[in-house]
Amino acid sequence: MKIFKKIAILLIIVLIGVQFVPTTYNTSNEVLETDFIKTYNAPKNIQNLLKTSCYDCHSNNTNYPWYSKIQPGIWFMQKHVNEGKEELNLSTFGDYSGRRKKSKLKSIISQIKDDEMPIASYTIIHRDAKLSKEDKTLLIKWLTNLRDSL
Amino acid sequence: MKNLKKTFGILLFTVLIATVSSCKNDAKKADSNGDAQTMEMNKEGEDHDNSDGHHDNNGEEAEMSHDNSDGHHDNDNASSNDERDITASTQKNGATSGIIDSYIQIKNALVTDDKDGAAKGASMMLMAFSNFDMSQLDEAQHKEYMEIYESAKEQAEHIVKSPIDHQREHFETMSTDVNDLITLLGTDKTLYVDYCPMKKVSWLSETKDIKNPFYGSKMITCGNIKSQIN
Repeated sequence: MKIFKKIAILLIIVLIGVQFVPTTYNTSNEVLETDFIKTYNAPKNIQNLLKTSCYDCHSNNTNYPWYSKIQPGIWFMQKHVNEGKEELNLSTFGDYSGRRKKSKLKSIISQIKDDEMPIASYTIIHRDAKLSKEDKTLLIKWLTNLRDSL
Repeated sequence: MKNLKKTFGILLFTVLIATVSSCKNDAKKADSNGDAQTMEMNKEGEDHDNSDGHHDNNGEEAEMSHDNSDGHHDNDNASSNDERDITASTQKNGATSGIIDSYIQIKNALVTDDKDGAAKGASMMLMAFSNFDMSQLDEAQHKEYMEIYESAKEQAEHIVKSPIDHQREHFETMSTDVNDLITLLGTDKTLYVDYCPMKKVSWLSETKDIKNPFYGSKMITCGNIKSQIN
């Protein structure tokens, strides 16, 4: 019994301790000229879908819920965001070459179609980010039109 | 007292882990910086080469650059056009062979549902691209080449690490890239441009028989020859 108590106390101390490890947050108030929504003048409903379902991991500005600021959760989140941005950064979409814009759009569409994105580990916490069937149809239609117009 | 020691130990341990993991990220960043730098260096090198090599080119080379300047607008049109209808280049150029060989290897692996083979072919392609000598390209070619390279590299990297249905998706885009590369620079190989009506995508094959890589064994003979290169 004593040993359990000790372990519990240790764990608590560690958890408090890691709160002081500094982390950099992926936030930016600046909307760049190369921003996806801005560049292609996305209508309001598309904007909302993109912002709630994609922008947290695929842009320079993550909307952090309060509980995400508690360690060590933020580390996992940070890793996700970094990987997400490496794959696709909607804040700098305008910087991609024409060829890449098209291939990125193609990948975005197929990821949404196959329910691979938004990723399950994200939507399990962010319930509102989950795309309904109608949302998917709407997004895919708009993105496909955009791709064909490029 | 003992307790305190333990506590400190564990605290130290976590801090250590945190530092190590942040260091890892830094190393990654530094790596990609290095990449960018070499790329830029290459670029500079080429600009230089072009500035003095352009008009002194003799014989075949001169003819080649002439062809290119003629063909330029065609290329631009092709890449701005969504369907990117690719017309075969008539240039005989062996420099693209490494890239094409690796592409064919990926294609043949996908035809036989061989995920690992495709991944191997994709790493071969990454090698082939890094071995490609860009010094023969003029400025406009270089710009187009870099865009193709950027895209093809991305597709190859995904093929290396993805399950087969994903590999096939990236192979679609890669097919367009390699097709465009041949349009831009030419090849000395005989290739067939095959068309998959279901995917609405072209792919390249070294044989006349249709072997569709997009569905594997399921729809192996679906498609038709659109054109022939060389």
